[in-house]
Amino acid sequence: MARIKKKGQAGAAKNFVTRNQAIRKLQLSLPDFRKLCIWKGIYPREPRSKKKVSKSSTASTTFYYTKDIQYLLHEPLVQKFRDHKSLEKKISRALGRGDVSDAKRLETNASRPEKTGKPTYTLDHVVRERYPTFVDALRDLDDCLSMLFLFANLPSTSMVPAKMIARCERLCLEFQHYLIVSKSLTKSFLSIKGIYYQANIQGEDVLWLVPYRFNQRIVGDVDFRIMGTFVEFYMTLLGFVNFRLYTSIGLKYPPKFDAVKDENAAELGAFTLEGKTLIGGEEQKKLEDVAHKPDPKVQAAVNKVLKSITNGDSNGAAAEEAKNGDSDEVDQDAAGAIDKFEPAAPGGDILLQPSYNGTNPNSLFSNFTIYLSRETPRQPLEFILKSFGCKRVGWDAVLGGGAFTTDELDPSITHQIVDRPPIQASMDEDGDGEDNQTAQKLAANRRVPGRIYVQPQWVWDSVNDGELKEPHLYAPGASLPPHLSPFVRKVQGAYDPTMPLEDQEPEHEALEAGDDDEEADADETVEGMDVAESGDEDEDEDEEDEDEQDEDDEEEEEEEDHNDALQRQIELEAEMAGKTVQSKTANPKTKAKEDARKALAKKAREEAEDLERAKGMLSKKKRKLFEQMQYTNNKKSAEDAKLRSKRRKVEKEKAAKA
Amino acid sequence: MGPSIPSRKRKEIVEEVVESDDEFGGAELEGILSQSEDESGVEESDSEGEEPELDEDEDEDEDEDEDEDEDVRSDGEEDGKPNGERKNGANDEEVDDDKPNYRIVKDANGGERYEYEEIDPVYDSDDTDAQGPVNTIGNIPLSFYDSYPHIGYDINGKKIMRPATGEALDALLDSIELPKGWTGLTDPETGKPLNLSQEELELLKKLQMNEVPSDDYDPYPDLIPYFTSIEEKMPLSAAPEPKRRFVPSKHEAKRIAKLVRAIKDGKILPYRPPQPEETEEEEKYYDIWANEEPQDRHIMNIPAPKLAPPGYDLSYNPPPEYLPTAEEKDAWEKLDPEEREKEYLPSQFDALRKVPAYGEFVKERFERCLDLYLAPRVRKNRLNIDPNSLLPKLPRPEELRPFPTVCQTIFRGHTSRVRTVAFSPDGEWIASGSDDGTVRVWALNGHQEWSAQLSSADEPEPVNMVRWRPSKDTFILAAAAGEDLFFIAPPIVSDATEQASRDILDAGFGYATNGASSAATTADGVKKEPPAKWSRPSSSLVAKGVLLKATVRSTIKTINWHRRGDFLCTVSPTGQRSSVVIHTLSKHLSQVPFRKLPGLAQTAQFHPTRPYFFVATQRMIRCYDLQRQELLKVIQPGARWISSMDVHPGGDNLIVGSYDRRLLWHDLDLSNRPYKTMRFHPEAIRAVKFHRGLPLFADASDDGSLQIFHGKVVSDLMENATIVPVKMLRGHKVEKKLGVMDVDWHPKHPWIVSAGADMTLRLWA
Repeated sequence: MARIKKKGQAGAAKNFVTRNQAIRKLQLSLPDFRKLCIWKGIYPREPRSKKKVSKSSTASTTFYYTKDIQYLLHEPLVQKFRDHKSLEKKISRALGRGDVSDAKRLETNASRPEKTGKPTYTLDHVVRERYPTFVDALRDLDDCLSMLFLFANLPSTSMVPAKMIARCERLCLEFQHYLIVSKSLTKSFLSIKGIYYQANIQGEDVLWLVPYRFNQRIVGDVDFRIMGTFVEFYMTLLGFVNFRLYTSIGLKYPPKFDAVKDENAAELGAFTLEGKTLIGGEEQKKLEDVAHKPDPKVQAAVNKVLKSITNGDSNGAAAEEAKNGDSDEVDQDAAGAIDKFEPAAPGGDILLQPSYNGTNPNSLFSNFTIYLSRETPRQPLEFILKSFGCKRVGWDAVLGGGAFTTDELDPSITHQIVDRPPIQASMDEDGDGEDNQTAQKLAANRRVPGRIYVQPQWVWDSVNDGELKEPHLYAPGASLPPHLSPFVRKVQGAYDPTMPLEDQEPEHEALEAGDDDEEADADETVEGMDVAESGDEDEDEDEEDEDEQDEDDEEEEEEEDHNDALQRQIELEAEMAGKTVQSKTANPKTKAKEDARKALAKKAREEAEDLERAKGMLSKKKRKLFEQMQYTNNKKSAEDAKLRSKRRKVEKEKAAKA
Repeated sequence: MGPSIPSRKRKEIVEEVVESDDEFGGAELEGILSQSEDESGVEESDSEGEEPELDEDEDEDEDEDEDEDEDVRSDGEEDGKPNGERKNGANDEEVDDDKPNYRIVKDANGGERYEYEEIDPVYDSDDTDAQGPVNTIGNIPLSFYDSYPHIGYDINGKKIMRPATGEALDALLDSIELPKGWTGLTDPETGKPLNLSQEELELLKKLQMNEVPSDDYDPYPDLIPYFTSIEEKMPLSAAPEPKRRFVPSKHEAKRIAKLVRAIKDGKILPYRPPQPEETEEEEKYYDIWANEEPQDRHIMNIPAPKLAPPGYDLSYNPPPEYLPTAEEKDAWEKLDPEEREKEYLPSQFDALRKVPAYGEFVKERFERCLDLYLAPRVRKNRLNIDPNSLLPKLPRPEELRPFPTVCQTIFRGHTSRVRTVAFSPDGEWIASGSDDGTVRVWALNGHQEWSAQLSSADEPEPVNMVRWRPSKDTFILAAAAGEDLFFIAPPIVSDATEQASRDILDAGFGYATNGASSAATTADGVKKEPPAKWSRPSSSLVAKGVLLKATVRSTIKTINWHRRGDFLCTVSPTGQRSSVVIHTLSKHLSQVPFRKLPGLAQTAQFHPTRPYFFVATQRMIRCYDLQRQELLKVIQPGARWISSMDVHPGGDNLIVGSYDRRLLWHDLDLSNRPYKTMRFHPEAIRAVKFHRGLPLFADASDDGSLQIFHGKVVSDLMENATIVPVKMLRGHKVEKKLGVMDVDWHPKHPWIVSAGADMTLRLWA
């Protein structure tokens, strides 16, 4: 005979434990349990049937997976927590006895990460356990980066020690350095929340958000202890990720950190990368070279001229050297690149190969020297420009150290990024040439001739589109084109602001839109007939039409009837007056539209009927599902329709203005 | 105070020496010295010149001298020596000095002046106040002497010269380097700065600390070992001295060993270890994924969902259509922050510098943190499919043609609701039965060809069912009115057919009597009533063509012919045991196949190809094998009250109509539960019917409508039947909550005829 199964001994009842049960089993306090859960990545579950799992009737119980809790049992951190707890007890006991010296002695053993920013434990093993492979860690880097970038920008408080902030900042800057060197930043987006960045690291897309550089408003119910716990783990994680990333491209980690430069707010410039390939050194050298030769193109041209004049001159030799250097570079590039396979004989299959055009998106700004004006956000611009190939970024000394140049009048500057109201061209531009050497700063609202002035959005739009945008669209003071998110995936049928409206509106909407116009025309003609000499009212009419447009959709049918009735009325009146009826002959277009609309309505009706029939054949469950899906789809399409109608309106207004 | 006196004594000697050199200077010096002597030897340093030092040296010398010849020069030692001795000393002196005890000194006027030696008042003398104030000016303020070089007179009337007050520079020097023992006070007697010696300071300190001022007093004298020092004659205890007094202590050795070990281990250090003073240690990073091996995630692992990437409306400069209108903005602001669909309001800034900080940034991050560790995770299968793919692939209605769409003919003539209708096997005639007791036969054009009143016209028994015999060479109609089952051969077809029909009907008369007599007696001899009595109806009816009558025990509701036309079954739901009767036309024989049925029988039907028999009770349908006489299958449509059923001509499918508004399709091979349930009627379903040739079926309902379905059955076992609703035919009026009572299909064409409660028949084509 089979044994009688007891309730609550197997299955779901055993698989889940409540939070209190878990805490009791682990013999931890709730804050310690919370910390452990955050670090080990353990989260509550929603059992499929709560009734089977819970013994109590309380609805809002959180359940953990039993195996997760068992897994926590032999976690070394648990022992650390317990030790610390007993130490705390000893301290409080000593204090209770008034034994201050003993308490002091014990206190030296206690770790207070919230004060010192340095715990006595390490989270290395947790990182390894949570992310068995490096790719796993990269997959989970989104939150980590967002969090650390936020903390790098926070002010230090009692809850957030300054050391933690400094460490966050360093880790973030190191990560940015990696992105710059490896050129793996792909996209970026200026949103109202902050700046989104997306990088492709070893095939994984990582997206994070960096706040704008302002003092963050901290609303009351934010618990920094929880955030701090997360940040503690994330710092460890990013440290190891950075190590791996740096070593993967042959760099030494940690990079050399110059505290003095950091004091001068050099930020990215405070680090010196070093490795086997000596990337940083080379770059430095290059930069110095460039400092001597303002613009390679100009220099080359000058050299050519000089060469033509005097053969075998020292300048010529220098030019040759430069050329040699270039050819070396080309060779190096070619060695690393993929060879192109050309079919030798016809008949073989063609295999796809990654194509590389001359323009690598990550060397977009490589030929430019860009100067940032005082009012632009330096850190994001520096980062994004450098990661897209720009090696020479200069800025005003006000913005901190580490600039390529702080001289606004440097002749090598090709682009200047400004973010102020329109700059007037200076009256006496001739004088600038002489002033260059002496004057450090330009007077306000004066331009330096021979360079391109753009607004910051130019950089972002160029980066996202992978090509340099036309700078005149982004000139200072110009009204900018809309800045679009590069992260939106194009879905068939969804509204896309980049495409013209006509391409994406469904037929009936297009008809309606056309109708609106036509109706306005028709109404005008009607008016004109009723009151023979009143051309002035047209304007009023237009306004009315605009007001009515919103309601038109709903009142479609009525409107139609009304129009018919009106038409008939007009005909009658015309007969009475002995005039000829013009409206019919006047608007053959309207008629065609009308027909089209009728046909459309009929089609829609038929479709609805078909749908109804088909729905009748579904089972109840499937029908519910279907209706749910249709509900969401309709909601989405309603939103799209709304956007389209708004755009139509905007376009019309624009046309009216023009 | 001891040492001060002899020194003073000797000073006088010195003084004399100096005096001989320079009188004024000597006087001055004397004053200083005497004064300094009074205070202590220490503060001589502040009196100018090398004099004091010299003084001190001599002091020491003198001390030594004293030690050597104490008895000779014991003059000044008043305290230390006994009185007698002193006296002796004094006498000695007197004895030694024979010379006059004065000296002749030239005075200021040049006259002679006797200067006596100082009288040494011995201890016994009256002048006990030798230690009294040196200055004899009495109790007057010192300021009176301000204008003089002296400040008073000593006991000898000599002027005490004003001490050198020092220049301003001296004063400044004094103020800068404060000498030891400096108090900042001035001695009121001498006008000199009052300095305290080391001993005096210590004394003061002791007084301040409430300690015993004198050095000699020992508050903790050594304990005199009172008991051990005295050896008792008799020991207090006779116990021998224990061994432990003689061997080294093990316990102490242990403790020492412990300490030694601790020292060796470095637990006890000779000095305090330097505090790890905020050593800024770099975190040790290494390649943690050096030997990574991908693991399969546990099946229960649910990774945290990533945050959605930003859309167009989050841009600082979005396209204008994404900006909210004023109403939308208002609505957004009025909503609770929790109820908002988006936590932000799209807004546009015409330059990057105008973008403000996002106020909710920290809060959103925090909420994300909470979500990560606090939100229960559940794996939800999101169906990312086009909802239209859920819909069954229905063939277009055009492809399902032909099916009846319009009402072609309306047959009027019945005076009460038409209960039943049937197409003749050749499809040219329609028979109908009505509540007015008539059976009528119609041509398809709507013309009534034949009619017969089966019961009396006054109290007409409703004709519940008419059914044609399914063979084309005869023209026989079976009609049920009340308890009677009539067989009719309407005389409207060719004579040959009519004759054949009559022959078949009459063939059984020979058997009828035999059968009745043999079946009449049972085992216990009781004469048993046969289930039906076969007879000729009244002659008037016979003249009309109603040739045969079989009377059963209760009202017949349903008739169904066997496909060969020899058998037919009738069902009378109210007849208890004999509710289902199978009649054999050729023998005029009636049999009751079931002794007992669970529930009221509703309808019964023969299987179109096999010797099976279906009987529907209120809730179930049973399928019997007539040859083996056993129950094959029980079909459970799940309906509350079955009204009608029909077997598909293929024989594997069954449709069932029920009074609780359901139409059920059963696939007999699949299950005994319905394959499809269709509920398209708001009222009860009265009749269901398969088309004999085309893949069509129809039902009739009390709501006055017929519904036509396309029901295609394929012989392939793998494929289920496709059922498509095709058409709703409306036209019958609903009277007394009754709409369409019965339907029948044309045997070949997609035409259907329906009998309505509004006294009409309608032909739909």
